[in-house]
Amino acid sequence: MPASSRAPSRLLLTSIAVVAVLFGACSAPAATPSPTAVPSALPTASPAPAASPSPAPSPTPAAAFPVTVTDDLAGSVTLAAEPKKVVSLTPAATEILFAVGAGSRTVAKAEDIDPYPPEAGALPIVSTYKGIDVEKIVALGADLVVADALNPPDAITKIRGLGIPVIVLAATSIDGALHDIELIGDAVGEHGPAADLTASMRVRFDQLKAAAAGLEKVRVFYEIGGGDTIYTVPDPSIYAEMLRLAGSDPITTDSSYVIPLEKIVAADPQVILIADGTPISDVRKRAGWDTMTAVKDGAIVVISDSLVTRPGPRLVDGLAALIAAIHPDAVVPTPIPAS
Amino acid sequence: MATAPDAITPPRLTVGQVVGARGGAVRLVVVGIVALVAALILGVGLGSVAVAPGDTIGIIAHRVFGLDVARTWSTAAETIVIDLRLPRVLTSMLVGMGLGVAGATFQGLLRNPLADPYVLGTASGAALGAAIAVIVPVHIVVLQFGLLHGLAFIGALGAITVVYRLSRVGSRAPMTSLLLTGYAVGSLLAAGLAMAMYLSGAALRQIFGYLLGGFDGATWQRLAVSTPLIVGASILILLRARSLNGLLLGEETAAHLGIDVRRERAILLGLASLITAAAVAGSGLIGFIGLVVPHVVRMVVGPSARVVLPLSAIGGAVLLAYADIASRLLGEIPVGVVTAIIGAPFFLLILRRARSGYEV
Repeated sequence: MPASSRAPSRLLLTSIAVVAVLFGACSAPAATPSPTAVPSALPTASPAPAASPSPAPSPTPAAAFPVTVTDDLAGSVTLAAEPKKVVSLTPAATEILFAVGAGSRTVAKAEDIDPYPPEAGALPIVSTYKGIDVEKIVALGADLVVADALNPPDAITKIRGLGIPVIVLAATSIDGALHDIELIGDAVGEHGPAADLTASMRVRFDQLKAAAAGLEKVRVFYEIGGGDTIYTVPDPSIYAEMLRLAGSDPITTDSSYVIPLEKIVAADPQVILIADGTPISDVRKRAGWDTMTAVKDGAIVVISDSLVTRPGPRLVDGLAALIAAIHPDAVVPTPIPAS
Repeated sequence: MATAPDAITPPRLTVGQVVGARGGAVRLVVVGIVALVAALILGVGLGSVAVAPGDTIGIIAHRVFGLDVARTWSTAAETIVIDLRLPRVLTSMLVGMGLGVAGATFQGLLRNPLADPYVLGTASGAALGAAIAVIVPVHIVVLQFGLLHGLAFIGALGAITVVYRLSRVGSRAPMTSLLLTGYAVGSLLAAGLAMAMYLSGAALRQIFGYLLGGFDGATWQRLAVSTPLIVGASILILLRARSLNGLLLGEETAAHLGIDVRRERAILLGLASLITAAAVAGSGLIGFIGLVVPHVVRMVVGPSARVVLPLSAIGGAVLLAYADIASRLLGEIPVGVVTAIIGAPFFLLILRRARSGYEV
């Protein structure tokens, strides 16, 4: 009989899996004593043609509002006044908002399988893998929405149509993530804290890169999702960049994130990083995996996917975790003291 | 309707018989309109954010009917009701109406009770067209809309043309032949859709949305595009009810009645495909409406297209509006799931009861 979807059901499952995985690393903004009056920023969000996400360091000195920023999809967003009620549609954006000091002004967040920071725990959720709750965003009186290019474009168009400015992030590299932190800092009127944060992150990145630079490049397989279909890191991507910086030669795939088992076997990883929570004992038992050097050597390490892949302030911790996982004997420099 | 000069009751389709047809039709229209109004109120009143019923009515009275009502609501509530919920409810009604009319048209044209936009692959064709439009990198909104509707229409028309030509035996499209052809073409289109999804990259979510169907993306702008297409094509089909009645008797008889069979058939197929395309481009694949609604209508009022078409329009609008309300109440589950859950058992029940009336 007429079903709305016939053959592609398997593909659908796969797609859901990928979307879920991509959305997976989610965090939440902190509890908010919501400001009383809402001086709503009159937003002129122009969704300009989205070509390639080209995050270029913006020299916007975010002093006084109105402020105009250019988001990662080249959309120009003008904020008439300092945003008082900010909605985050991705875990990374939530982390960034809290890290630059706009946590108390964050009123809603994205669903997060690995909630961070803890202060964001109580915020209402308006973004899940199923979609965006535009009604709730309107009801909360949002005057700035921070979204990701992975959020449904329809919802973003709709929110902009209602006069709420939307900044779309699309970081595909560490530099892009740092740029996003500064971009959000400018948009919420926290230019200084954002600049300080990125400066300290750059210092720490440099330390870690230097520590990993001399290490032998290890062939690493990073499992985003296991099962009948195996998902791993595409190239180029922030994953691949992080893995290379951590002193490894990652086994990568194309933008489908899917990799055939044959390729993993042929590449023979020396270290396997498990980011989907599969118990290591199960990985050992998988048919065909016992031939891999990493399995023979017992070099299977569980890693926190949200640290490694969430383009936000904790990327530095992610890099440190990767180096420690890939090179257990290496000396990972300790974080610089908080300034 | 049996007394009307053009009301033709083909022997094989006398399901509802003529008994009380007119009274039934009037009753159905009244019930349908009451149900639509109720759906409008419910649909606008319900959602993830609670808006007091009094405020909802006040907002509508104020904004839609221009009444001078004392403002007791917030700006946010007004935006939610007017810009988010109202277009969604109206879109569900519009699409339901279109699918009802398209289903009734396909069933009449093919003289086959199982014909509907889904069985025939029309909807899958439209979905493939829409998916391709989503992948094509056009960034000017007007062009995007045009491309989306244009490709959906081409897909729908292409699919129905192939299925129709291949499944026809003489002037009829026998059940087996139609189902098999529809299945084969549908599978091919589904494969195309799977390929489009595979290649889509960032547009995957949007294509996935087409497959699930739903009114989450409804906006006034989209409604402004799909309304003229669906309403216009439905009216044009209604104006051709006489041709459709004639074709119900078979092409030869229709020709004897002075109907330009080839021309009318092509026009009707084109219009029904246009409705399907506009429905799919606007809200994705939603099954069963085009199949179930015209059936129920025919059982009550008999087969005359003059009555079946308008009643299918109302019935489709009612069913889909309530299906969408149900989908929202159940936590935004895809509306296609709801229509299938309501539609499939209902359809099977009716089919079983009425089997003697159909040539199965």
